[in-house]
Amino acid sequence: MTKLTRRTLLGTIGAAAAASALPAMPALAATRTIRHYWWGNPERDKRTFAVIDAFQKKNAGISVSGETIGWGDYWTKMATQTAGRNMADLVQMDYRFLFEYVNRGALKPLDEFAGKSLMIADFDKGPLDGGRVDGKLYALNIGSNSQVMVYNTRAFQEAGIDADLINWTWDDFAKACEKITAKSGGKMKGSDDLSLMIETFESWVRQNGREFYSPDGKVTATAGDVASWWQMWADLRKAGVVRDKNKTVILDPPIAESGVAVGDTAMSHYWSNQLVGIQSVAKDKIGAAMVPHKAGGKPGQFIKPSMFLSLSRDAKDTEAAIAYMNAWVNDPEITGILGLERGIPCSPKIRAALTPKLTEVEKLSVDYFAAIQSKVGPLPLPAPKGAGEVRDAFMRAGTDVVLGKVEIAKAAGTFIEDAQSIVERAQ
Amino acid sequence: MRRFFARNAPAYVFLLPWLIGFFLLALGPILASLYLSFTRYDMVSAPRWIGWGNYEYMFTRDRRFWKALQVTFTYVALAVPARLIMALGVAMLLDKGLRTIGLYRAIFYLPSLLGSSIAIAILWRQLFAADGVVNQVLAMVGIQGASWITDPDTSLFTIVVLAMWQFGSPMLIFLAGLRGIPRDLYEAAEIDGTPRWRQFTRITLPLLAPVIFFNLVLQTIDSFKTFSSAFIISNGTGAPADSLLFYTVYLFNEAFKFFRMGYASALAWFLLVIIATFTAIAFFTSKYWVHYENERD
Amino acid sequence: MKTSATDLEIAIQVDEAARVAHELRLKRDKRDRNGRILKHIFLITVSCVMLYPLFWLLASSLKPENEIFGSLTLWPSEFRFENYTKGWYALPISFTVFYVNSAIVTSLSVIGNLVSCSFAAYAFARLSFTGRSFFFALMMMTLMIPYHVVLIPQYVQFLNLGWVDTYLPLVVPRFLASDAFFIFLMVQFFRQLPRELDEAAMIDGCSPFKIYWAIILPLSLPAMGTAAIFSLIWVWEDFLAPLIYLNDIKSYTVPLALRLFLDQEGQSAYGQMFAMSVLSLVPVVIFFVLFQRLIVRGIATSGMK
Repeated sequence: MTKLTRRTLLGTIGAAAAASALPAMPALAATRTIRHYWWGNPERDKRTFAVIDAFQKKNAGISVSGETIGWGDYWTKMATQTAGRNMADLVQMDYRFLFEYVNRGALKPLDEFAGKSLMIADFDKGPLDGGRVDGKLYALNIGSNSQVMVYNTRAFQEAGIDADLINWTWDDFAKACEKITAKSGGKMKGSDDLSLMIETFESWVRQNGREFYSPDGKVTATAGDVASWWQMWADLRKAGVVRDKNKTVILDPPIAESGVAVGDTAMSHYWSNQLVGIQSVAKDKIGAAMVPHKAGGKPGQFIKPSMFLSLSRDAKDTEAAIAYMNAWVNDPEITGILGLERGIPCSPKIRAALTPKLTEVEKLSVDYFAAIQSKVGPLPLPAPKGAGEVRDAFMRAGTDVVLGKVEIAKAAGTFIEDAQSIVERAQ
Repeated sequence: MRRFFARNAPAYVFLLPWLIGFFLLALGPILASLYLSFTRYDMVSAPRWIGWGNYEYMFTRDRRFWKALQVTFTYVALAVPARLIMALGVAMLLDKGLRTIGLYRAIFYLPSLLGSSIAIAILWRQLFAADGVVNQVLAMVGIQGASWITDPDTSLFTIVVLAMWQFGSPMLIFLAGLRGIPRDLYEAAEIDGTPRWRQFTRITLPLLAPVIFFNLVLQTIDSFKTFSSAFIISNGTGAPADSLLFYTVYLFNEAFKFFRMGYASALAWFLLVIIATFTAIAFFTSKYWVHYENERD
Repeated sequence: MKTSATDLEIAIQVDEAARVAHELRLKRDKRDRNGRILKHIFLITVSCVMLYPLFWLLASSLKPENEIFGSLTLWPSEFRFENYTKGWYALPISFTVFYVNSAIVTSLSVIGNLVSCSFAAYAFARLSFTGRSFFFALMMMTLMIPYHVVLIPQYVQFLNLGWVDTYLPLVVPRFLASDAFFIFLMVQFFRQLPRELDEAAMIDGCSPFKIYWAIILPLSLPAMGTAAIFSLIWVWEDFLAPLIYLNDIKSYTVPLALRLFLDQEGQSAYGQMFAMSVLSLVPVVIFFVLFQRLIVRGIATSGMK
């Protein structure tokens, strides 16, 4: 009886193994296969799979396996595959994580292919160089973006705001907030409270003439920068012209929960490639303004690569991978499919080809991009290891300030100390 | 030797799948994580041995570690009893007599089906917002509610409420256990005129003890390891102000967000020690209050 | 199992007792009618609280995108049924494929869990053997370790076996009793059954497998039903393992596919995501309703002897 049990059991396992192995088997072993891994959403996934189809039609010998998941889960899977030395050949990279992956040796430089199989000579230099670490190109820009103050055009019109939204200052911003709040009778506040947004704060630090991090990866922002930033928002909160503090301390809410999207506020801070996404959930038509400037200060905003394509350490068929990469930024059919979904391409030729076909929101982002070119500062160096943790620490300290639990000066001092020790520990 | 074999063979045959699974699949990764807890490991480069370094840092310099412990212990102390009492109470209501029991049982289990999906995160933030449904209901009876989810002083309670609301699994197990109690015992007690609450303490509790014990142990283990609910509601950060920094949320961030898998492994092994201690205490004391039918004499 | 005469006597006594009990119950029922109505009122109130989120989910799945977050009212301003029809085909692969995948993984896993865990539980609960408490402690330990730290060593292990990008890492461990929860659950229920049953069967010459199959399992239907329900629900909703082990989108399971709708930082499709979430609950609810009968029946009716 017992013997029979064991045999039945093993049989079951065997059958299960056979059955379950089948559906996920790779299609054809004979062709050259490369894997492309990206984070996405239904729209981006559709476009990307269409690109893969187009590429495979033109390159009969190469089959591309598309692997995708949402942003939130992307990095967990990426880390696991990296640890297992099983990264996809081509991975989508983010500016925030570039340094972390390059410094640990997970990506291969692209310089040896440039001009041979990867044609990038005529690309805009600034956005392209965003993919360089220590002088080597580790990541190919597949779209650029910049900070943007998204605003509700209807609210702005009704409140009669006539400021020049490209050159405006923080004073203009505060006045606009007052007007909008007054006009709506307090139902719609001027802006989201950006106290916790380290991305906007970085612009603030640069407007004060400093970088957040020094070239050798130390924290150079000062407690004074932090305190003055939080003080400005504290004043706006006190005046009642920015969003309720209880909506502010939800960290990283999806854009669908932002003030502009739900109609609580007339302004929010975002990245310019997100304009399409915001418009899709916002009731009113949106517009794009620059992050307000400091009167007499330095430019704070910058143009950065919104997404990269990188060649991973584990890539075997680099030739096929680079051919695919090259098609992504040069092939007119493929770039046509991609459009501006991942950001503004840094090839002038491709941009020109796309211009006639733009939707209204896409046109908004292109026009915005053109308007800010001369107003932005240089791209800061990629953030050092530990920057992600500093971001969290900033939000934690800022939460205490927004909720009025800790005094601004004290919280600012604590944050800078924390940031310094975080960066130190990460090295 | 042969007698040893004869005595043990049947058991080992039944245990075989588990033995294979444990020794060939589970044990390796477990030992690997123990090893990693003594290393600095960023998941890209090879792990580097640093002895007790991680543990030392944990106990002497890591403020957030203590915060995570505090949050987790508070949660366990609140959620485990709340959930068990809720589950047992409803299970007993449902156990007897009602013809519509199937319907109720399904309804009460539904929230557990939603698990910790993103939908729950969005819903919970809306329900417990300053202007949310919960406060609207409270306002009807004249109570001015807090901004539950964004106030560090109250956010943890929203997670406890979520745990109570999803009491389906322990309820189902209690129900299965109650069904195992022979009806005739109650009938006999009824004939003897034993009052209801004494039927509860004399019949239900003792006979249900193994199942109560199971639920207690499992709920404690699960609560110490609570991850998804806090993770999704705080957008993965443990915010506001670390008030939702559950131990495993902290551990996950250390591992996958900040590339400190070695340190995260050390955190995990310390949590294992805590959970094992509690479980061992439960097993030890169970001798005094859990009696099994077959081991009665 | 002695002589039939005593059996008969006992039967008569039991019958008589049952009759008295039945009369008593009728009396009590009258007394309890009011209590019962109160009970229903209470249960219905609780049900409303329990169901609100579900209504919310259903409502959200029918709302236009910009209404999901903006308004607190449940009623959509207009019904977007196309969230369902469009959602089904919104991804590069249709949901039909994801459901088939999920069904394969789930059904195999549930069978694996029930068979292998009840084997192990039977050994732990009913058989005595050297090393029982040691193995039991090891088994409990696997319950306690936070999953995230074994993720990477496990991934490397399955990678070396060549199992990544197949369903094997999701299914095979379940045939090897990897989920200690179910073992422990079954152990607790198996231990409740009277020892005399095994002993009598043993004297009759039954093999341990026969005892397991003909006595323990049939008497543990509530426990097995509970295990089946949990196992199905948890595997169906399992997200982390499929995320790590499946690469090809054609092999994705339903929960994994649901994650493709959302982009924290960009364009999401909440309405469609909610619509598909609602649909993903349907198979689980059906299974629950079918299997919960097992819990109701079980041994309770026979009173065990």
